[in-house]
Amino acid sequence: MEKLTHNEVVMLLLQLATMLVLARVFAEIARKFKQPAVVGEILAGILLGPTILGTFFPEGFEFLFRSYPMSNIALAGYSQVAVVLLLFIAGLEVDLNLVFSQGKRALNISFYGLVIPFAFGFTAPFFFAEFFGFSEGNKLLFSLFMGTAMAISALPVIVRTLMDLDLFKSRMGMMIVSAAMVDDIIGWMIFSVILSFMGKEAGGIGIGYTILLTVGFTVFMVTVGKSLINRVLPWINKRLAWPGGLISLSLAACFFAAAFTEFIGLHAIFGAFIIGIAIGDSEHMTERAKEIIHQFVNNIFAPVFFVAIGLKVNFIANFDPWLVLVVILVAYAGKVIGCGFGALQGKLDKYEALAIGFGMNARGAMEIILGLIALENGLITEKLFVALVVMALVTSMTSGPLMKWAMNKRKVGLE
Amino acid sequence: MYKKVALAIAFSPRMEALIAEAKNLIGIFNGELVLIHVGTKTPELEAQLSEVLSRHCGDLGRIKTIWKEGKPAKTILKTCEEEKVDLLVLGALKKEGLLTYYVGSVARKVIRKATCSVLTMIEPKVETTHFSKVVINGTELEITPRVIEKGLKFCEVEKSNQVHILNEIKMYGFKMATAAEGTEAEVANTRRKLVQEEINYVQGILDNLEPTDLKINIKVTAGKWAVELVRFCESIESDLLIMGVDQGFSFIDRIFPHDIEDVLIELPCNLLIVK
Repeated sequence: MEKLTHNEVVMLLLQLATMLVLARVFAEIARKFKQPAVVGEILAGILLGPTILGTFFPEGFEFLFRSYPMSNIALAGYSQVAVVLLLFIAGLEVDLNLVFSQGKRALNISFYGLVIPFAFGFTAPFFFAEFFGFSEGNKLLFSLFMGTAMAISALPVIVRTLMDLDLFKSRMGMMIVSAAMVDDIIGWMIFSVILSFMGKEAGGIGIGYTILLTVGFTVFMVTVGKSLINRVLPWINKRLAWPGGLISLSLAACFFAAAFTEFIGLHAIFGAFIIGIAIGDSEHMTERAKEIIHQFVNNIFAPVFFVAIGLKVNFIANFDPWLVLVVILVAYAGKVIGCGFGALQGKLDKYEALAIGFGMNARGAMEIILGLIALENGLITEKLFVALVVMALVTSMTSGPLMKWAMNKRKVGLE
Repeated sequence: MYKKVALAIAFSPRMEALIAEAKNLIGIFNGELVLIHVGTKTPELEAQLSEVLSRHCGDLGRIKTIWKEGKPAKTILKTCEEEKVDLLVLGALKKEGLLTYYVGSVARKVIRKATCSVLTMIEPKVETTHFSKVVINGTELEITPRVIEKGLKFCEVEKSNQVHILNEIKMYGFKMATAAEGTEAEVANTRRKLVQEEINYVQGILDNLEPTDLKINIKVTAGKWAVELVRFCESIESDLLIMGVDQGFSFIDRIFPHDIEDVLIELPCNLLIVK
């Protein structure tokens, strides 16, 4: 088996250590300002990458990230595992019970919260493709991607905001959470279909077939897969070490599913996401075990992944203020109008509808993952990627304060 | 509280035990009993029934028997409405087979659609059951305050020894994971706060009710509430589980079982559905 040389090992470990330390430092700073950790982690990456370190101390950047290509490949492997795990925990968070128990109102919000942002995201780049940095390839795919990017949301940011505002247990909180869950499931399904088309137009698999695979895999996993999981998990819990057995085997299942979807032509992250839903929905997957998996991924894998994003792109050279502004505007308009309209349809009042729109507007980590995959597949330019990352950060950072503002307005109105 | 009790009878081996239980209930509630049989009325069945009745019920004045033909679940439900029944008693199997699960047994249909409360007994006894250890679903739902109020009234009349009210923390693992962006003390604080919030919810409902001498224990779980209820009932070997139903059910609910469906798949003990 080939292995890294002595120096390459040293470099890989140095990279990981630097990334983890800086990620932690900036996550702590973000925490001081009541912002999600991902904001700090991205900033740490920008600092370590070509944007700051590469510009002002090119030797340092060259030494740390350019001198040993093999270490970089190993690091890329680590990031790949990280993104699969991130999607796995995103799946674990989805609670189908909650979704079904919220009923029609939540469905209204999730429907309009998906369709309207998607329409906004789709239309703008379809008619102004060049402005969004589209040059060649399939314009339809590009527009579909932008639609999906506008429709997706970041549950962890939403949940955190709701907990901070003491709204999680409220009727509105539950509606927001379940609507975001539905939008994420559908959003990732659409993205999975888009991804399997990238670069495969000639002689690739047909669209009907891809949709069938995506939907088929999802339905299979949440029905048959889930009932299999329900049979195996009790055995694991009873016979094997706890939580060791449960954690290592559920991660193994996650990797198997990711490998399987990658193999059949869908993206690996889609398999991880869907099996995350199936495993998370099992009553035998205890909340304690979920908490441990979350901690493990959020603090060991996620920081490296988000810092690595800053290493790939120069955020200043690729910062196009107009593009950033337009992307942010489209993002706000889509979610606030969409979810707000859905909420009004469900007979919620004006400020509640606004609060729901602002809450659902947080894009966070999921948007960044989506953007990165599109960038790696050559679907979007670095400029658009930077705009999407900035949009993800801005929407996440403003979600809490704006929701609070809307709820205060409502309180004043009621008094 | 339950002035008019109905019992659905099917001339099964358990009929005698069910009649004894129903008779016991109208004794406790000082009510009257309606026996409903869906099927053809024959002299043999009539004789069999009156023989059982005479053995268990000295006073036949408070008992009325209705014979009707038609689809079992529908007919039972319709009769209950016509007779203005407050509580319907049914026998049910502890565990349903896969086929009945998807097609739906009579008990299931009745539980879902009845407008009156339904008591489902999995092990009716001729010497009758005392509901000593009772578990009430205290999960935060619209109907929960009502379920707790009615459930406690039932326990008072029944003179239960111990009542447990179970509430859950929704998405506990995820919440704790997001809370983990705080320091150790903050995380511990969040954990305490999550548990306390759920206790407060139940306590708030109890404070609005008249004081009772019942021994009440509020317990907080994390996980899916229906499954946790079943587990808890099994672990303490409870005699009765009290819960409410607040929504319609469709075939989708059976493909993705949740809430009450999780309880109905394998009944942990007798089940009182409060409407």
